[in-house]
Amino acid sequence: MGYAAARGGTEAILAAEDLVRRARDGGGSAWLGLDQIGERLRLAVDRVQGEGGLWAPELAARAFRQAEGDVSEAAQILRAHRSTIPRLAYSEPVHADELSVQRRISPAFRNPPGQQLLGRTLDYVGRLLDLMPEPEDADSQPATHVHHHDHPAAPVETNGVDPRHPPRLLGLLRKMDLVVDRRSEDDPEPDDITRVPPRPGSAQRSARLTAMARAETGALVHLWYTETFTPTKHQHEFPGEVRHGTLPVRLRHPVTGNPVTVAEVRVTEVETIDDLDRLDEDRTRLDIGYGMCFGHNERKAIAMAGLDLLVHRDKGQTDLEQRVLLTLDGIESSGFLEHLKLPHYVDFRSVIDRKRAVRRPPAEAVR
Amino acid sequence: MTLWALAGENDTSGIFDELSKREVRRAVLTAVAVPGYQVPFGSREMPVARGWGSGGLQVTLAVVGAEDQLKVIDQGEDAGVNASNLRRLIVGQVGCAEVTDTRKATVIQSRHRIPETRLRDDQVLVLQVPVPEPLRLVVGDAREQQRMHAEADYAKMWVSLYEDIVRNGVIMQSAGYPCLVNGHYVFAPSPIPRWDVPKLHQSDHLTLLGAGREKRIYAVPPHTDVEPLTFEDVPFETERTDGAACHFCGADDSYLVEVPSTDGSVRWVCSDTDHCDRRREDA
Repeated sequence: MGYAAARGGTEAILAAEDLVRRARDGGGSAWLGLDQIGERLRLAVDRVQGEGGLWAPELAARAFRQAEGDVSEAAQILRAHRSTIPRLAYSEPVHADELSVQRRISPAFRNPPGQQLLGRTLDYVGRLLDLMPEPEDADSQPATHVHHHDHPAAPVETNGVDPRHPPRLLGLLRKMDLVVDRRSEDDPEPDDITRVPPRPGSAQRSARLTAMARAETGALVHLWYTETFTPTKHQHEFPGEVRHGTLPVRLRHPVTGNPVTVAEVRVTEVETIDDLDRLDEDRTRLDIGYGMCFGHNERKAIAMAGLDLLVHRDKGQTDLEQRVLLTLDGIESSGFLEHLKLPHYVDFRSVIDRKRAVRRPPAEAVR
Repeated sequence: MTLWALAGENDTSGIFDELSKREVRRAVLTAVAVPGYQVPFGSREMPVARGWGSGGLQVTLAVVGAEDQLKVIDQGEDAGVNASNLRRLIVGQVGCAEVTDTRKATVIQSRHRIPETRLRDDQVLVLQVPVPEPLRLVVGDAREQQRMHAEADYAKMWVSLYEDIVRNGVIMQSAGYPCLVNGHYVFAPSPIPRWDVPKLHQSDHLTLLGAGREKRIYAVPPHTDVEPLTFEDVPFETERTDGAACHFCGADDSYLVEVPSTDGSVRWVCSDTDHCDRRREDA
């Protein structure tokens, strides 16, 4: 009768847990320290935080190690941990102008106000497998390691512009009267989708942006790609700027009421520009899509900004908003998939019953 | 003043903070007040996959107390791995007693079955729901589904059932059969078999349904009408197999599942193992 019918499911579970522990904690190599994971596997940790919707680098590294490198699983562990802790407060809104950039590029303008700042990027590093021999002494640095400072020299100030806080391109485009004004008064407080489930049709833009910020990266990129790569679409959007840097988190002090900076988070922010070319659109102007997510996750932020635009331009004509709101969460989609592994013989028996009912002679079919 | 003082009482370490439980209780109260209506709630991630009963788990954790007698079943069984796991999580968090005897339980969390033993008015049944939206059968757009529920516009539902009969001679809907609750909302009673649907109608017990992934809680209060959608001249059919009886207890009046053998023969056994065990003891 299989595993589900076995008496003593608890024993089976405990044994399975033991196997997990042995595979995870066993082995002949050194235990991975959290500092190593945070330092050497930074992008995985960033992704766990992005999909987990929680900025907590050390906890994310811990979850990643516990999940043996499975990003989705780590994100779920992180979120489940979040459920054990009360929510104490909401932080104050932070303006994107406050972003202290570590990287800032503009594919749209050669010389945007404030300079291009390449920063840490794989974009121009050849994707060749490094086959240098492993160092014999495990403690020594990799052979390809080039010593550098953790904090590279600050970029040179140009034209009186602080290179860590370059003016955003959006301001320039507004001055040039090239963008439609998307600011609206009907979304004053961000929808908190962890408290109020977003409902297609009545959800605010802020709900869509949050859903995408927490989305599974692959699913988000896939949805953006399928929507962009359609027979009717001739152009792709232009990322106006792609920025990666730190933002302060401020809380109102419970006693004094003053805003206090309590933490810094790293985010990736993208503003992407689309050509308004449909009959019902203002064809003298451009539109801007927005994406911001935790960590250094450029693929996610760019796809997010693109989808922000696509949903807006869709104006509820298709189910795109519904898909953005309800199908991109990695923990939900893989949870549903995992559920297929659970026993289903009660409802499967019911399905088979119907198949047999159809085959019964007509006189008997209706009881 | 400490942060913990600001946060209020939270003496339970474990899997679900007190403020979130309070939110679930509010949703449950709304659900009881509006039978069959799917109340949206801010579903939290539980330490199980979303789809493994995270909704039922949140509801159970919100209603169960240390003095309760908890029963957890999956497919009618107390000892399956999923039931054992959820029971372990809840007992570990709450410290309540665990029982398998349906008659002794005060709170029963279940996946896909309602116990064969009729439940009493001092018992609460929590059902895990993977797909709470019955209208998904006929319309995929969530905006339209909301409108249809609000206006009790279930015409498309009726048409789809009618088309079933025209095409197949019978209604093909198997588990999770759509039912009209209290004369207004059509709901999906989790994927319980049609066999269990009549147990919801005018029941003595309270049924709470939790869908964690889809973030909805709904309820059937005691003594509420739950009518499976069907036509006056096409009676509602439950699962049946002529001549089938439980291999262990001989019951032919309980929900039976098929156990195929390698030689092609088939045995039938009760899916409700507690009920089956007691029948055998009484025999």
